[in-house]
Amino acid sequence: MFTTDILSQVVINGLSLSAIYILVALGFTLLFGIMKVVNFSHGAFAMLGGYALFISYGSYKLPYIIALFGSAFTVALISLIFEFLVFKWFYQKMFQSMIGLMGLNMAIVYASVMIWDISERSIPSPDQSILTFGELSIPMDRLWIMSVTLVVLGLFWYFVTYSRQGLAMRAASQDLEIAAAQGINPNRIYKLAFFIAIFMTALAGGLYAQTYALSPFMGERPLMVAFIVVILGGMGSIPGAALGGLILGLGESFLSTFYGGAVSSFVSFGSVVILLILRPWGLLGKPE
Amino acid sequence: MIKAIQNNTESSSQATEMSPRKFTSWQVLLGLTFLILLLIWPQFTTNKFYFTMGTMIALSVIGASSLNLIIRTGHISLAHAAFMGVAAYTCVLSQIYFHINFALACALGCSMSAFLALILGPILLRLTGKYFVLVTFMVGEIIRLVFINWQSLTGGSNGIQEIPRGLDLFKNPTSFYYFSLLISFLCIVFVRRILSSDLGRAIDSLREVESLAECSGIPVSKIKISMFVIACFLVGFQGILQVYLVGYIDPGSFNSEASLNMVVMNVIGGMYHLSGPILGSIFITTLPEFLRGYVDFQRVIFGVVLIVVMAALPGGLMGILFKLKVFLLKALHLEVKNK
Amino acid sequence: MSALLQVNGLSRQFGGLLAVKDLSFDVSAGEILGLIGPNGAGKTTIVNTVSGLIKSTTGEINFDGHNITHLLPHRRAALGLVRTFQSTAVYGVQTVKENAMRGAFLHSYGGFFSDFFSTQKHKILKIQTEQRIDALLDWLGLSQFSNVPAQSLAYGHQKTLGIVIALAAQPKMILLDEPVAGLSAEETDHVRNTIQRVRSQGISVVVIDHNMRFISGLCDRLIVVAQGQKIAQGSPNEVLNDTLVIEAYLGKAYDAS
Repeated sequence: MFTTDILSQVVINGLSLSAIYILVALGFTLLFGIMKVVNFSHGAFAMLGGYALFISYGSYKLPYIIALFGSAFTVALISLIFEFLVFKWFYQKMFQSMIGLMGLNMAIVYASVMIWDISERSIPSPDQSILTFGELSIPMDRLWIMSVTLVVLGLFWYFVTYSRQGLAMRAASQDLEIAAAQGINPNRIYKLAFFIAIFMTALAGGLYAQTYALSPFMGERPLMVAFIVVILGGMGSIPGAALGGLILGLGESFLSTFYGGAVSSFVSFGSVVILLILRPWGLLGKPE
Repeated sequence: MIKAIQNNTESSSQATEMSPRKFTSWQVLLGLTFLILLLIWPQFTTNKFYFTMGTMIALSVIGASSLNLIIRTGHISLAHAAFMGVAAYTCVLSQIYFHINFALACALGCSMSAFLALILGPILLRLTGKYFVLVTFMVGEIIRLVFINWQSLTGGSNGIQEIPRGLDLFKNPTSFYYFSLLISFLCIVFVRRILSSDLGRAIDSLREVESLAECSGIPVSKIKISMFVIACFLVGFQGILQVYLVGYIDPGSFNSEASLNMVVMNVIGGMYHLSGPILGSIFITTLPEFLRGYVDFQRVIFGVVLIVVMAALPGGLMGILFKLKVFLLKALHLEVKNK
Repeated sequence: MSALLQVNGLSRQFGGLLAVKDLSFDVSAGEILGLIGPNGAGKTTIVNTVSGLIKSTTGEINFDGHNITHLLPHRRAALGLVRTFQSTAVYGVQTVKENAMRGAFLHSYGGFFSDFFSTQKHKILKIQTEQRIDALLDWLGLSQFSNVPAQSLAYGHQKTLGIVIALAAQPKMILLDEPVAGLSAEETDHVRNTIQRVRSQGISVVVIDHNMRFISGLCDRLIVVAQGQKIAQGSPNEVLNDTLVIEAYLGKAYDAS
């Protein structure tokens, strides 16, 4: 059972899953770290990203890279409306945000049901070919996912570390009051963080929809993933999201291939529960 | 979570000011009228749908008010529907496999739910605020996965299609309704008694300023766990009766959306006064009926209502009513003055 | 006569920081002890460990002959050791009387069944408690505010209410955490007076503060801590002239040569 061929497949699948998971989790953790909201509608935005890609790539047949980044960008742009109408009432109010955003989730999901129907659709893959390196065979679409994610993560890391806005964001996530006293405009930072978070989520949603299937309820899984990854890595911690995403993606790939989907779910949920009990701030977070 | 609790203290303060430990004569009159209406209306109709609806509302009040016990200790549980399911499955399966009568099976079901709460409670209740919400969300999912995957026992995602007979009175929709009303009423009386007693005062204390309460001699952990266990025992009745009402078990009815509904009933009605979840459960259960045929649209509206309530009305419907009452009293006072 | 409260070898570690180091002290019955030290000396940690909100890393705490080292705060309160808080000292939204009634839980709660069914025994207990609380509020001058929400009281009165809540539990000893922080001179005098009256009822008091003048005018004995360690103890006069103490507060004398 544990042959090189199968193991390599598991690792590759795992890495590509991790890539998507990290993107989803990063968006979630940004919203929590800076605005202190627990975004229960996170999966819905991933789903919107999926539909956007379906329209741009599946229907209008735009070139893949343009479709991918363009749809994520568009979703993030349009979602600023939600930022203005909904999110801004819940900044720094964790408890209210949880229930309120659950409401937003319901509204977005069922509005999507009304606009598109509940049937599952699929998005054509950008490249069905398989790359072979001796014994290793890597599907090209997995490679696409991993490279796109790497580029985005790299840009994000560069932005957060070296740009002025990135510095402002980091300051705001540590202590909003002091950051504001230093002249940082919280509203601008909020909008920027929100845009980046939704961009990454929508992008991840597009990739996820391509790998699996697209439907209005597609976002349930990414939401779960966001929770698990962020709790694993530590809420509000960016390296934590990366680490958590890696662990979950590889873990799931391994467990579901060899032991089935149910075992994989049990283990991931169970580990999160245990972690929440013993070390709620996650592997890389800080105890409050 | 301290901050979150303090954000809610405004509504909790309204509530505690609103909840005199004794009833005013107005409240008694209102309550009696309401009760009489509840008892009489079945005599004027034979529409089975209304009976089912009425029974569902009565049962949902059990879930919402039992959850209120947990919420009053400062913890929001998203696993309440899962515990409901545990009781339901235990009751049905023990009737199927052990051939016991309904009363015994029902007691077993609720006890199983309470037992699980007793085991998980001490571990979970150490967590506060958002962590507790998240961990109960996860636990609820794990329990649901058990329902779906333990196919030999639970029938998997198809559930159990043939429920053994419960009580004879279950066959008649009218008597089922009256029975559910009775159980629901008993549950409310029980919960209300706890919350308005000295224990209820201790519960309010430990929710408002936990460290102060504990250092005054209030056994915080013990009370939180007890309330959790009692709440999970009580919600078992809702799960069991619901299942016997429809005649089958569907694991999908014990998912996180169902748990969220119960939390919403509490939040939308007003968390810190028992009339809140009662109002909330009536509102939530009947809301779908106003938009019949537009199932998806009603859910969109539901979502929007949630957003608005959480953003603007921390006291829920009861909060609105309270503000209304204050407003009316002020207006009347002005009128009297002018005379 | 053995001490009412005995703290032996108490220490508390937070990660790499040793907030309290090998602290030992005694408090006798009927005594007013002052625990004083500059900010950051570890006073809050000491109060939290002795009252049970935090576990100690090492050491033993004995109260009234019982080893309370591993007891939860509510059990320590049941034995007679109660504390007040510097911040969140009261239930802000509730009335003054409700605040006081809440403090009386230990002696007003007769068990689940008598409470739930409102038995005769429970009713009698309740009346007695209310009478006792009314008397307590009157004794400390808060009767006039009985139906006022605690948070609308003047800060000084709120601090007094915090002491009332502690006294409602009928303690043998109370730990007062910074009882005069943020108070005016007049309010401070009032609190000092209140503490003396409390002691006259036979209740021991441990006052934790950093205000030298307040503490030295009030306490029988002082213990000075700095950086988690006891650096002096004795009567206020002895302690205030101790070089180490002066250094801890003011720093070493600048040597111009």
